[in-house]
Amino acid sequence: MEFLLENILNLIGFIVGIIIGGFAYAGYKNTGSPVLFRLTIAFIAIGIGFGIIWAGYVIDDIYIQEGKINRGLQALGLGIQTIGYFFIAFSHTIKSFFPKSRYFRSVGILPLFALSAMNIEHIIRSFSFILLVYGAIETFVSFLEGKQKGTLAVGIGLALLAFGEFIAWYSLVFPESILYSVSILLKISGLISLFIPISRLPLRKIKFDDFEDNEDEKFGR
Amino acid sequence: MGIYRKQIEIVGDILYAAEELTIDQNGASITRLIQKANISHSRISKILTNLVSQGLLEQVDSRRACKYRISMTGKDFLKEYRTFSEFTDNFGLTI
Repeated sequence: MEFLLENILNLIGFIVGIIIGGFAYAGYKNTGSPVLFRLTIAFIAIGIGFGIIWAGYVIDDIYIQEGKINRGLQALGLGIQTIGYFFIAFSHTIKSFFPKSRYFRSVGILPLFALSAMNIEHIIRSFSFILLVYGAIETFVSFLEGKQKGTLAVGIGLALLAFGEFIAWYSLVFPESILYSVSILLKISGLISLFIPISRLPLRKIKFDDFEDNEDEKFGR
Repeated sequence: MGIYRKQIEIVGDILYAAEELTIDQNGASITRLIQKANISHSRISKILTNLVSQGLLEQVDSRRACKYRISMTGKDFLKEYRTFSEFTDNFGLTI
């Protein structure tokens, strides 16, 4: 059951990440916005991260048949996902600058101490959790300012992903419990919530090659 | 504290203003664009020249003053700009 849920989670994560990343890239190509560039890196990294873990499960299912993923591959996938979460948080850090990043640093220290004896995979998870919490808080703050439903959906999505990572920590303490399956379901819900506002936008790409080339030249970008 | 707009936001605001003010084929005057897009005269002149050369705005000959109207390419660009602006808004960010 857990194996199946992991497969579904990582496949959804891969698809959602690549679609949102591709959309952000189309926006970056059309507008040259650095924010869209960072979101491109973020979601492509998240998609690739989920994709690597999904590939690990598929390889095990078809060839190795041990019933568990290669730990190195899992750590690699989680690491790449964390890079993605970092870029989401980084965009907010740039927007908010230092006052709120102090909060980020103060919160960030706790889980690092808590998991200092754990292996690399769990340290990576702790980074993901911190970055997701930060991204969710900043997105909720933006929602309070703008009151847009899409922002709320993204904020809830990031919060669910963060809560999923948090529950996954607890599953280390109670390895045979239902907690890990709950964490996977939470993360699937988070990914769906992230995708809802994006799915409402027209997912197509229009090129403005002439404008783009000359605009960069003349606007000095 | 004032909020500074990025170049792309200023371009978006000017195109939006031009679209709003282009109610007929006469186009909008620079003064109206300045008011609507909230930008200085010295800054808008250079940007308008660029936008006309990129085909996003069209310069309309007028006996009294120089006027501008949004082109079809400009409308398409504005539509895409709004889409991606909404996309970044969903993340609590500005384009």
